Amino acid sequence: MQRSIVHMDLDSFFVSVERLQNRRLKNFPVIVGGGSDRGVVSACSYEARKFGVHSAMPIKLAKQLCPDAAYIRGDMDAYTRYSRLVTDIIAEDAPVYEKASIDEHYLDITGMDKFFGNLKWTKELRQKVIRESGLPISFGLSVNKTVSKMATNESKPNGEMQVDEKHVQSFIHPLSIQKMPMIGKKTFQVLRSMGVADIGTLSRIPPEMLMNLMGKSGLQLWNKANGIDLSPVRQYSERKSIGSEHTFDVDSMDISGMRDLLAGMVEKLAYKIRKDGWVTSVVTVKIRYANFDTHSMQRKIAYTTFDHELIRVSHDLFDTLYSRRMRIRLIGVKFSGLVRGVQQLSLFEDSSRMAELYLAMDNIRKLYGKKAIRRALSFH
Amino acid sequence: MNFVVSSSALLNRLQLVSKVVNSKNTLPILDNFLLKLEDGVLKITASDLETTLTTDITPDVVDGEGMIAIDAKKILEILKEFPEQPLTFQVDMDSFQVEIKSEKGLFSLVGQNGEDFPQATQLKADQVNRIDLLPEILFSGITSTLFATADDELRPVMNGILVEISPDNMTFVASDAHKLVRYIRKDANAESEASFILPKKPAGILKNIVTKADNELTLEFDDKNAVFSFPGFYLVCRLVEGNYPSYNSVIPTENPNRLTVDRVELYNTLKRVSIFSNQASNLVKLGITGNQLSISAQDIDYSIAAHESLNCQYDGDEMTIGFKSLFLLEILSNIGTEEVNVEMSDPTRAGIVLPKDNENEDEDILMLLMPMMINN
Repeated sequence: MQRSIVHMDLDSFFVSVERLQNRRLKNFPVIVGGGSDRGVVSACSYEARKFGVHSAMPIKLAKQLCPDAAYIRGDMDAYTRYSRLVTDIIAEDAPVYEKASIDEHYLDITGMDKFFGNLKWTKELRQKVIRESGLPISFGLSVNKTVSKMATNESKPNGEMQVDEKHVQSFIHPLSIQKMPMIGKKTFQVLRSMGVADIGTLSRIPPEMLMNLMGKSGLQLWNKANGIDLSPVRQYSERKSIGSEHTFDVDSMDISGMRDLLAGMVEKLAYKIRKDGWVTSVVTVKIRYANFDTHSMQRKIAYTTFDHELIRVSHDLFDTLYSRRMRIRLIGVKFSGLVRGVQQLSLFEDSSRMAELYLAMDNIRKLYGKKAIRRALSFH
Repeated sequence: MNFVVSSSALLNRLQLVSKVVNSKNTLPILDNFLLKLEDGVLKITASDLETTLTTDITPDVVDGEGMIAIDAKKILEILKEFPEQPLTFQVDMDSFQVEIKSEKGLFSLVGQNGEDFPQATQLKADQVNRIDLLPEILFSGITSTLFATADDELRPVMNGILVEISPDNMTFVASDAHKLVRYIRKDANAESEASFILPKKPAGILKNIVTKADNELTLEFDDKNAVFSFPGFYLVCRLVEGNYPSYNSVIPTENPNRLTVDRVELYNTLKRVSIFSNQASNLVKLGITGNQLSISAQDIDYSIAAHESLNCQYDGDEMTIGFKSLFLLEILSNIGTEEVNVEMSDPTRAGIVLPKDNENEDEDILMLLMPMMINN
């Protein structure tokens, strides 16, 4: 059966949120990211894009290209709040939706054409989002996720596009292979060196050849190039991991300071999983040296939510990881293997007192904010 | 050496001993039973180097002496297929050829030299502690505690049962750091204080064979090994080395909140409600107000929840405490009385489950369960 899939994507989401909060940023190049010279651009307005700025570009380079733009550190809490607002608006009307990222949603509206008119319904939903959240949003409507997403990207900013089944091939084939989801820098270079420039050429390559080149994902790529994508819209996606990273303003050798910082990060994450009712069983620590060599290491542990256990494990991992006398650029920690549950207390480790301590601290955080109480060693 | 023995009697003995044989052995001879004919008695031994169990049987006809190792799997398989009948074993001690003559046929196999079978360790005569006890004490002690032992490679002591003897009593303790069982018998006394940690495997085997004992059995041990013996059976096992954590210090003494409830009713309620708990955590919440005990569970991921209340007698503050239902069910199923007392102090401290009105006055059972951390 032919499906109808909508992809909705908020236009330069972070910038739009900043503009909602500060009207003077309208029609002005805005760059969100970092907070220091060493971070990367996480979002930029269309005005800034004219100067050649794009996301994931080092802030330093962006400042050379567009020195007069407004540089904003970014407020993830506000973004999350607005993103949830948009999700709520969509959830109210859509029969099945999938939140693919902070600013993207897929909707499956198969079978609604007869009653509402797919395009009309989606247009109305888009207007509703714009009206109720104040954020610009674009959508693509087509037969599967890949084509819908490409349609959205072509229609942006502030656009709408429908690609029906018989026009799928004529729509995607002239596009550059760069426009195809799944093709990153590496794959692009490989394909370009083979003389493949547009998706039409890619679709005519024998799938066996692509499989030789890239293994299993080669076949997926070929399918997508031919407008085939059977992946369903999944309403519920389980959270798999939670983590946090920190890039230093200046590459650092302050190991004891880093251990304290790591403890502070773990403490924050541990509070979050306790609050949301998860327990974790895998801890991963990551460090990036000044020369961008990145190392990470993980350890499986018994299910826990206790700061002190998680801090001990992360310190252990950090001490093993840090083996070269080189300055460190970034450290990060991640909890995965998350399952719903609460901590089983243990007899021989005085866990009752620790549990009471964490319960009391969590209650303070719930009342006065998550920074209201912290371990002394994480103050820096 | 030759002997004639009843097929079913031999099978019965071999099956008891076969629990010692590991399915995979580093030492190939351990795949065998050792049969030793001496003074008109046939001794059967199996070993995994850690545990060695010997039992005996008196054959109907005996001719000669000697010993031979026979493949355990083969002999068990063939014995299972015989209807009850006398079997004649003829062993050639030079070629180790074994011939089993049945009513209608002849089965021949080749054994191995019995001298190659590892000898059971001897206790150090100057360090031996000794206690005589009723088989029922050992049976109850092991049965009550075995379920609470851990499976923790990092803390091997927790994988065994701590057995303490003293002039006053005998104590069995097992714990996996989440639950703990302490089983005390006042009717078993030793001359001095001593203790050892009995590994899981021999504990499980002992549980099966002590039911065969009629009279008192003898327990002897030094710092490395223990010997359990009674007529017909002799078990030697290596003990777990290390120090058992001080279990008495983790048993809370101040427990102002006391609950009395029908054991079977609580068990059945828990079984029903826990089906609706989260399958990873198995958390059930016990909320107690007045004389109502309410048991609830939920799984947010599947939007399912259950709730049931039952009558109880309660003396203490209103409280809600969370337990892993599997653990609580295990504990309740290992208590025999009609009602149980549950003593608690607060939601982050251990709950103690005790049998109410235990008929056996020499028995003192305490089961303890750590709660799960719930945030109300």
